Amino acid sequence: MNRLSQLAINDEGFIFDPVRGESFTVNKTGLLIIKALKEGKSQEEIVRELVSSFNVEEEKARIDLVDFLERLRSLNLI
Amino acid sequence: MIVGVSGINAFDNPGPGVGVAKSIKEDRELNAKVVGLSYDAMEPGIYMDWIIDKSYILPYPSSGHEAFLERLYYIKNSYGLDFVFPNLDAELPLFMKYQQELESAGIKTFLPSLEQFKLRGKDRLEEVASKIGFESPKSQVVTSYEELHKAVERLGLPVMVKGVFYKAYKANSLPEAVSYYNKIVAEWGYPVILQSVVYGEEMNVVGAGDGEGNSLGMVGIKKLWITELGKIWTGVTVRNEKMLSGAESFIREFGWRGPFELECIVDTKEDKVYLIEINPRFPAWSYFSTGVGVNIAANILRKAFGMSTKDFNDYEAGKLYIRFTDDLITDMSKFQKILVRGED
Repeated sequence: MNRLSQLAINDEGFIFDPVRGESFTVNKTGLLIIKALKEGKSQEEIVRELVSSFNVEEEKARIDLVDFLERLRSLNLI
Repeated sequence: MIVGVSGINAFDNPGPGVGVAKSIKEDRELNAKVVGLSYDAMEPGIYMDWIIDKSYILPYPSSGHEAFLERLYYIKNSYGLDFVFPNLDAELPLFMKYQQELESAGIKTFLPSLEQFKLRGKDRLEEVASKIGFESPKSQVVTSYEELHKAVERLGLPVMVKGVFYKAYKANSLPEAVSYYNKIVAEWGYPVILQSVVYGEEMNVVGAGDGEGNSLGMVGIKKLWITELGKIWTGVTVRNEKMLSGAESFIREFGWRGPFELECIVDTKEDKVYLIEINPRFPAWSYFSTGVGVNIAANILRKAFGMSTKDFNDYEAGKLYIRFTDDLITDMSKFQKILVRGED
Protein backbone atom coordinates (compact mmCIF):
# COMPACT_ATOMS: atom_id res chain seq x y z
CA MET A 1 0.00 0.00 0.00
CA ASN A 2 1.34 3.42 -0.92
CA ARG A 3 1.15 5.49 2.19
CA LEU A 4 2.99 8.54 0.90
CA SER A 5 -0.28 10.36 0.36
CA GLN A 6 -1.11 10.02 4.06
CA LEU A 7 2.17 11.43 5.36
CA ALA A 8 2.18 14.78 7.10
CA ILE A 9 5.24 16.69 5.90
CA ASN A 10 6.52 20.05 7.04
CA ASP A 11 8.96 22.34 5.26
CA GLU A 12 11.78 21.56 7.67
CA GLY A 13 11.80 17.93 6.67
CA PHE A 14 9.83 16.43 9.57
CA ILE A 15 7.54 13.65 8.43
CA PHE A 16 4.81 11.96 10.48
CA ASP A 17 3.08 8.76 9.47
CA PRO A 18 -0.40 8.89 11.09
CA VAL A 19 -1.08 5.21 10.41
CA ARG A 20 2.00 3.87 12.17
CA GLY A 21 2.69 6.76 14.53
CA GLU A 22 6.27 6.96 13.28
CA SER A 23 8.20 10.07 12.52
CA PHE A 24 11.19 10.63 10.24
CA THR A 25 13.44 13.48 9.30
CA VAL A 26 14.83 14.06 5.82
CA ASN A 27 17.30 16.57 4.41
CA LYS A 28 16.43 19.02 1.65
CA THR A 29 17.08 16.47 -1.08
CA GLY A 30 14.86 13.88 0.60
CA LEU A 31 12.16 16.49 1.15
CA LEU A 32 12.17 17.44 -2.54
CA ILE A 33 11.88 13.78 -3.55
CA ILE A 34 9.07 12.98 -1.12
CA LYS A 35 7.08 16.04 -2.10
CA ALA A 36 7.55 15.21 -5.78
CA LEU A 37 6.45 11.60 -5.23
CA LYS A 38 3.36 12.83 -3.39
CA GLU A 39 2.56 15.02 -6.38
CA GLY A 40 2.81 11.95 -8.60
CA LYS A 41 5.90 13.05 -10.53
CA SER A 42 7.86 10.48 -12.49
CA GLN A 43 11.44 9.46 -11.65
CA GLU A 44 12.70 11.36 -14.72
CA GLU A 45 10.94 14.52 -13.59
CA ILE A 46 12.39 14.16 -10.12
CA VAL A 47 15.91 13.67 -11.50
CA ARG A 48 15.52 16.89 -13.52
CA GLU A 49 14.32 18.74 -10.40
CA LEU A 50 17.27 17.45 -8.38
CA VAL A 51 19.71 18.54 -11.08
CA SER A 52 18.28 22.04 -11.29
CA SER A 53 17.77 22.54 -7.53
CA PHE A 54 21.05 21.16 -6.23
CA ASN A 55 23.41 21.71 -9.13
CA VAL A 56 24.45 18.04 -9.39
CA GLU A 57 25.18 15.84 -12.37
CA GLU A 58 22.28 13.88 -13.74
CA GLU A 59 23.92 10.52 -13.12
CA LYS A 60 24.63 11.38 -9.48
CA ALA A 61 21.03 12.58 -8.99
CA ARG A 62 19.71 9.37 -10.52
CA ILE A 63 21.81 7.19 -8.19
CA ASP A 64 20.75 9.18 -5.15
CA LEU A 65 17.11 8.93 -6.17
CA VAL A 66 17.31 5.15 -6.57
CA ASP A 67 19.00 4.85 -3.17
CA PHE A 68 16.38 6.98 -1.54
CA LEU A 69 13.50 5.09 -3.14
CA GLU A 70 15.03 1.86 -1.86
CA ARG A 71 15.09 3.35 1.62
CA LEU A 72 11.42 4.38 1.37
CA ARG A 73 10.59 0.87 0.19
CA SER A 74 12.39 -0.69 3.13
CA LEU A 75 10.33 1.53 5.44
CA ASN A 76 7.22 0.35 3.65
CA LEU A 77 6.32 3.91 2.65
CA ILE A 78 6.04 3.21 -1.07
CA MET B 1 -23.47 15.85 40.19
CA ILE B 2 -20.96 14.18 42.47
CA VAL B 3 -18.76 11.57 40.82
CA GLY B 4 -16.59 9.03 42.61
CA VAL B 5 -13.32 8.09 40.95
CA SER B 6 -10.97 5.34 42.11
CA GLY B 7 -7.43 4.62 40.99
CA ILE B 8 -6.09 8.03 42.06
CA ASN B 9 -2.70 6.45 42.71
CA ALA B 10 -0.67 8.72 40.47
CA PHE B 11 2.76 7.19 41.07
CA ASP B 12 5.15 4.99 39.08
CA ASN B 13 2.37 2.51 38.30
CA PRO B 14 -0.26 5.17 37.74
CA GLY B 15 -3.96 4.43 38.01
CA PRO B 16 -6.41 5.99 35.58
CA GLY B 17 -8.27 7.99 38.26
CA VAL B 18 -6.57 11.37 38.09
CA GLY B 19 -6.90 11.49 34.30
CA VAL B 20 -10.58 10.54 34.55
CA ALA B 21 -11.12 13.20 37.24
CA LYS B 22 -9.44 15.85 35.07
CA SER B 23 -11.67 14.87 32.15
CA ILE B 24 -14.82 15.18 34.26
CA LYS B 25 -13.78 18.62 35.47
CA GLU B 26 -13.09 19.81 31.94
CA ASP B 27 -16.70 19.36 30.86
CA ARG B 28 -18.04 22.50 32.50
CA GLU B 29 -21.64 21.67 31.64
CA LEU B 30 -21.48 18.72 34.01
CA ASN B 31 -20.59 21.03 36.87
CA ALA B 32 -19.34 17.94 38.69
CA LYS B 33 -17.60 17.51 41.98
CA VAL B 34 -15.14 14.65 42.14
CA VAL B 35 -14.79 12.31 45.09
CA GLY B 36 -11.53 10.41 45.26
CA LEU B 37 -11.96 6.78 46.29
CA SER B 38 -8.63 5.54 47.56
CA TYR B 39 -7.13 2.61 49.41
CA ASP B 40 -4.13 4.29 50.95
CA ALA B 41 -3.57 7.64 52.65
CA MET B 42 -0.53 8.17 50.46
CA GLU B 43 -2.36 8.08 47.12
CA PRO B 44 -1.34 11.38 45.52
CA GLY B 45 -4.81 12.15 44.15
CA ILE B 46 -6.04 12.74 47.71
CA TYR B 47 -3.79 15.80 47.89
CA MET B 48 -4.64 17.18 44.44
CA ASP B 49 -7.47 19.38 45.68
CA TRP B 50 -7.72 21.34 42.44
CA ILE B 51 -8.96 18.16 40.75
CA ILE B 52 -10.38 16.06 43.53
CA ASP B 53 -12.78 17.83 45.87
CA LYS B 54 -13.03 15.27 48.65
CA SER B 55 -11.40 11.91 49.31
CA TYR B 56 -12.30 8.78 51.21
CA ILE B 57 -10.42 5.64 52.10
CA LEU B 58 -12.30 2.50 51.07
CA PRO B 59 -11.96 -1.01 52.45
CA TYR B 60 -10.37 -3.40 49.93
CA PRO B 61 -12.93 -5.15 47.73
CA SER B 62 -11.43 -8.44 48.90
CA SER B 63 -12.60 -7.68 52.45
CA GLY B 64 -16.17 -8.40 51.33
CA HIS B 65 -18.93 -6.62 49.48
CA GLU B 66 -20.91 -5.58 52.55
CA ALA B 67 -18.22 -3.38 54.06
CA PHE B 68 -17.45 -1.99 50.63
CA LEU B 69 -21.04 -1.08 49.79
CA GLU B 70 -21.59 0.31 53.30
CA ARG B 71 -18.70 2.66 52.75
CA LEU B 72 -20.15 3.86 49.44
CA TYR B 73 -23.55 4.41 51.09
CA TYR B 74 -21.85 6.34 53.87
CA ILE B 75 -20.23 8.63 51.26
CA LYS B 76 -23.60 8.97 49.51
CA ASN B 77 -25.29 10.04 52.72
CA SER B 78 -22.59 12.25 54.14
CA TYR B 79 -21.24 14.07 51.08
CA GLY B 80 -23.21 12.81 48.12
CA LEU B 81 -22.33 10.30 45.42
CA ASP B 82 -24.31 10.08 42.19
CA PHE B 83 -21.95 8.05 40.05
CA VAL B 84 -18.82 5.94 40.41
CA PHE B 85 -16.07 5.26 37.88
CA PRO B 86 -14.27 2.18 39.23
CA ASN B 87 -10.90 2.31 37.51
CA LEU B 88 -9.06 -0.64 39.02
CA ASP B 89 -9.25 -4.25 37.86
CA ALA B 90 -9.75 -5.61 41.36
CA GLU B 91 -12.87 -3.49 41.93
CA LEU B 92 -14.69 -4.25 38.73
CA PRO B 93 -16.29 -7.61 39.56
CA LEU B 94 -17.80 -6.19 42.75
CA PHE B 95 -19.16 -3.09 41.06
CA MET B 96 -20.56 -5.13 38.19
CA LYS B 97 -22.21 -7.64 40.48
CA TYR B 98 -23.86 -5.00 42.65
CA GLN B 99 -24.62 -2.35 40.04
CA GLN B 100 -28.38 -2.79 40.48
CA GLU B 101 -28.15 -2.38 44.24
CA LEU B 102 -26.01 0.69 43.84
CA GLU B 103 -28.40 2.11 41.29
CA SER B 104 -31.34 1.68 43.61
CA ALA B 105 -29.36 3.47 46.31
CA GLY B 106 -28.91 6.37 43.88
CA ILE B 107 -25.35 5.56 42.83
CA LYS B 108 -25.06 5.04 39.09
CA THR B 109 -22.30 3.18 37.28
CA PHE B 110 -21.74 2.54 33.57
CA LEU B 111 -20.11 -0.83 33.27
CA PRO B 112 -20.08 -3.93 31.12
CA SER B 113 -22.16 -6.90 32.22
CA LEU B 114 -20.39 -9.81 33.90
CA GLU B 115 -20.83 -11.72 30.64
CA GLN B 116 -19.08 -8.94 28.68
CA PHE B 117 -16.42 -8.71 31.36
CA LYS B 118 -15.51 -12.35 30.77
CA LEU B 119 -14.54 -11.49 27.19
CA ARG B 120 -11.38 -9.91 28.55
CA GLY B 121 -10.07 -13.32 29.59
CA LYS B 122 -6.99 -14.21 27.62
CA ASP B 123 -8.68 -17.51 26.79
CA ARG B 124 -11.38 -15.56 24.89
CA LEU B 125 -9.01 -13.35 22.87
CA GLU B 126 -9.13 -15.51 19.78
CA GLU B 127 -12.93 -15.53 19.71
CA VAL B 128 -13.19 -11.76 20.21
CA ALA B 129 -10.45 -10.99 17.68
CA SER B 130 -12.05 -13.07 14.94
CA LYS B 131 -15.43 -11.39 15.46
CA ILE B 132 -14.03 -7.88 15.05
CA GLY B 133 -11.68 -8.49 12.13
CA PHE B 134 -8.51 -8.72 14.23
CA GLU B 135 -5.98 -11.51 14.50
CA SER B 136 -4.81 -12.98 17.79
CA PRO B 137 -1.47 -14.48 18.72
CA LYS B 138 -1.55 -18.16 19.65
CA SER B 139 -1.56 -18.48 23.40
CA GLN B 140 -1.72 -21.07 26.13
CA VAL B 141 -2.46 -20.87 29.84
CA VAL B 142 0.08 -22.76 31.97
CA THR B 143 0.18 -23.60 35.66
CA SER B 144 3.10 -26.05 35.86
CA TYR B 145 6.60 -26.60 34.48
CA GLU B 146 5.30 -29.51 32.45
CA GLU B 147 2.67 -27.36 30.79
CA LEU B 148 5.23 -24.62 30.29
CA HIS B 149 7.56 -27.00 28.43
CA LYS B 150 4.74 -28.25 26.23
CA ALA B 151 3.60 -24.70 25.48
CA VAL B 152 7.10 -23.59 24.47
CA GLU B 153 7.32 -26.62 22.21
CA ARG B 154 3.99 -25.81 20.59
CA LEU B 155 4.43 -22.03 20.26
CA GLY B 156 8.14 -21.99 19.44
CA LEU B 157 10.74 -19.43 20.42
CA PRO B 158 10.89 -16.56 21.12
CA VAL B 159 7.74 -16.59 23.23
CA MET B 160 5.96 -14.05 25.45
CA VAL B 161 5.55 -15.05 29.09
CA LYS B 162 2.75 -13.06 30.72
CA GLY B 163 0.94 -12.64 34.00
CA VAL B 164 -2.85 -12.62 33.96
CA PHE B 165 -3.03 -8.88 34.65
CA TYR B 166 0.52 -7.54 34.72
CA LYS B 167 3.98 -8.14 33.37
CA ALA B 168 5.09 -9.53 30.06
CA TYR B 169 8.53 -10.81 29.17
CA LYS B 170 9.98 -12.02 25.90
CA ALA B 171 11.87 -15.29 26.37
CA ASN B 172 14.40 -16.42 23.77
CA SER B 173 15.12 -19.81 25.29
CA LEU B 174 13.43 -22.42 27.46
CA PRO B 175 15.53 -21.59 30.57
CA GLU B 176 14.66 -17.94 30.07
CA ALA B 177 10.96 -18.82 29.81
CA VAL B 178 11.23 -20.87 33.03
CA SER B 179 12.91 -17.99 34.83
CA TYR B 180 10.22 -15.48 33.74
CA TYR B 181 7.53 -18.00 34.65
CA ASN B 182 8.98 -18.21 38.19
CA LYS B 183 9.25 -14.47 38.42
CA ILE B 184 5.61 -13.92 37.45
CA VAL B 185 4.34 -16.68 39.74
CA ALA B 186 6.31 -15.22 42.68
CA GLU B 187 4.96 -11.75 42.09
CA TRP B 188 1.46 -12.22 40.70
CA GLY B 189 0.61 -15.90 41.18
CA TYR B 190 -0.94 -18.38 38.76
CA PRO B 191 -1.80 -18.82 35.99
CA VAL B 192 0.83 -17.69 33.51
CA ILE B 193 0.08 -17.16 29.84
CA LEU B 194 2.44 -18.09 27.06
CA GLN B 195 1.86 -16.27 23.81
CA SER B 196 3.52 -16.50 20.43
CA VAL B 197 5.41 -13.36 19.44
CA VAL B 198 3.86 -11.13 16.80
CA TYR B 199 5.68 -8.25 15.18
CA GLY B 200 4.49 -4.74 14.47
CA GLU B 201 3.72 -1.44 16.10
CA GLU B 202 2.30 -1.45 19.63
CA MET B 203 -0.88 0.57 19.47
CA ASN B 204 -3.84 1.02 21.77
CA VAL B 205 -7.39 2.27 21.57
CA VAL B 206 -9.30 3.87 24.41
CA GLY B 207 -13.02 3.98 23.89
CA ALA B 208 -16.42 3.49 25.41
CA GLY B 209 -19.63 1.85 24.29
CA ASP B 210 -23.15 2.93 25.24
CA GLY B 211 -24.37 -0.65 25.68
CA GLU B 212 -26.56 -0.34 22.58
CA GLY B 213 -23.83 -0.81 20.03
CA ASN B 214 -22.81 2.83 19.68
CA SER B 215 -19.50 4.48 20.43
CA LEU B 216 -19.19 7.23 23.03
CA GLY B 217 -15.82 8.18 21.58
CA MET B 218 -12.49 6.53 20.83
CA VAL B 219 -8.88 7.48 20.19
CA GLY B 220 -5.98 5.39 18.86
CA ILE B 221 -2.46 5.93 20.08
CA LYS B 222 1.01 4.55 19.78
CA LYS B 223 3.22 4.33 22.83
CA LEU B 224 6.53 5.99 22.06
CA TRP B 225 8.20 5.55 25.41
CA ILE B 226 7.22 3.26 28.26
CA THR B 227 8.48 2.75 31.79
CA GLU B 228 9.87 -0.51 33.12
CA LEU B 229 6.35 -1.37 34.27
CA GLY B 230 5.15 -0.92 30.71
CA LYS B 231 3.34 2.33 31.49
CA ILE B 232 3.17 4.96 28.81
CA TRP B 233 5.31 8.05 29.38
CA THR B 234 5.23 9.49 25.86
CA GLY B 235 2.76 8.68 23.12
CA VAL B 236 1.29 9.94 19.88
CA THR B 237 -2.21 9.81 18.43
CA VAL B 238 -2.55 7.68 15.31
CA ARG B 239 -5.32 7.03 12.84
CA ASN B 240 -5.11 3.41 11.92
CA GLU B 241 -8.46 2.78 10.27
CA LYS B 242 -8.31 -1.00 10.63
CA MET B 243 -7.71 -0.71 14.37
CA LEU B 244 -10.41 1.92 14.85
CA SER B 245 -13.00 0.06 12.80
CA GLY B 246 -12.19 -3.09 14.80
CA ALA B 247 -12.81 -1.16 18.01
CA GLU B 248 -16.14 0.02 16.60
CA SER B 249 -17.02 -3.59 15.78
CA PHE B 250 -16.08 -4.54 19.34
CA ILE B 251 -18.66 -2.06 20.67
CA ARG B 252 -21.30 -3.10 18.14
CA GLU B 253 -20.72 -6.86 18.16
CA PHE B 254 -20.71 -7.26 21.93
CA GLY B 255 -22.95 -4.33 22.89
CA TRP B 256 -20.10 -3.17 25.11
CA ARG B 257 -21.14 -0.80 27.89
CA GLY B 258 -18.60 1.47 29.54
CA PRO B 259 -14.97 2.31 28.99
CA PHE B 260 -12.38 -0.07 27.55
CA GLU B 261 -8.86 -0.23 26.22
CA LEU B 262 -7.78 -2.53 23.41
CA GLU B 263 -4.08 -3.32 23.31
CA CYS B 264 -3.00 -4.21 19.79
CA ILE B 265 0.03 -4.94 17.69
CA VAL B 266 -0.41 -3.55 14.21
CA ASP B 267 1.41 -5.14 11.30
CA THR B 268 1.18 -2.37 8.74
CA LYS B 269 2.99 -4.37 6.08
CA GLU B 270 0.40 -7.15 6.09
CA ASP B 271 -2.42 -4.81 7.20
CA LYS B 272 -3.17 -6.99 10.20
CA VAL B 273 -4.15 -5.97 13.71
CA TYR B 274 -3.42 -8.43 16.49
CA LEU B 275 -5.52 -8.16 19.64
CA ILE B 276 -3.24 -8.60 22.65
CA GLU B 277 -5.42 -7.58 25.54
CA ILE B 278 -8.82 -6.14 26.44
CA ASN B 279 -9.02 -3.95 29.52
CA PRO B 280 -12.60 -3.30 30.65
CA ARG B 281 -11.79 0.10 32.12
CA PHE B 282 -9.98 3.31 31.34
CA PRO B 283 -6.21 3.07 30.81
CA ALA B 284 -3.86 5.21 32.89
CA TRP B 285 -3.39 7.51 29.88
CA SER B 286 -7.10 8.15 29.28
CA TYR B 287 -6.68 11.92 29.67
CA PHE B 288 -4.83 11.81 26.34
CA SER B 289 -8.15 11.39 24.53
CA THR B 290 -9.67 14.31 26.43
CA GLY B 291 -6.65 16.40 25.51
CA VAL B 292 -7.30 15.82 21.81
CA GLY B 293 -10.97 16.72 22.18
CA VAL B 294 -12.56 13.33 22.83
CA ASN B 295 -13.78 13.47 26.42
CA ILE B 296 -14.96 9.90 26.87
CA ALA B 297 -15.45 10.04 30.66
CA ALA B 298 -17.68 13.11 30.34
CA ASN B 299 -19.65 11.47 27.53
CA ILE B 300 -20.28 8.41 29.70
CA LEU B 301 -21.68 10.68 32.42
CA ARG B 302 -23.81 12.48 29.85
CA LYS B 303 -25.23 9.15 28.67
CA ALA B 304 -25.77 7.87 32.22
CA PHE B 305 -27.66 10.99 33.26
CA GLY B 306 -29.73 11.31 30.09
CA MET B 307 -27.94 14.42 28.87
CA SER B 308 -27.11 14.94 25.20
CA THR B 309 -23.96 13.03 24.29
CA LYS B 310 -21.27 14.46 22.06
CA ASP B 311 -20.58 12.90 18.70
CA PHE B 312 -16.82 12.54 18.41
CA ASN B 313 -16.18 11.72 14.79
CA ASP B 314 -12.58 12.74 14.50
CA TYR B 315 -9.38 13.68 16.25
CA GLU B 316 -6.03 14.84 15.00
CA ALA B 317 -3.26 12.31 14.43
CA GLY B 318 0.22 13.37 15.52
CA LYS B 319 -0.70 14.88 18.89
CA LEU B 320 1.85 14.11 21.59
CA TYR B 321 1.25 12.88 25.12
CA ILE B 322 3.89 13.73 27.70
CA ARG B 323 3.59 12.45 31.26
CA PHE B 324 5.73 14.18 33.84
CA THR B 325 6.41 14.02 37.54
CA ASP B 326 5.66 16.92 39.85
CA ASP B 327 6.09 17.96 43.47
CA LEU B 328 3.42 19.04 45.89
CA ILE B 329 4.04 20.49 49.34
CA THR B 330 1.17 20.46 51.81
CA ASP B 331 0.38 20.38 55.53
CA MET B 332 0.57 17.26 57.61
CA SER B 333 -3.03 17.90 58.69
CA LYS B 334 -4.42 16.55 55.41
CA PHE B 335 -2.54 13.30 55.88
CA GLN B 336 -3.60 13.12 59.53
CA LYS B 337 -7.27 13.59 58.71
CA ILE B 338 -7.32 11.02 55.95
CA LEU B 339 -5.46 8.57 58.15
CA VAL B 340 -7.55 9.09 61.32
CA ARG B 341 -10.96 9.87 59.85
CA GLY B 342 -10.60 8.02 56.57
CA GLU B 343 -11.77 11.10 54.71
CA ASP B 344 -10.90 14.68 54.00
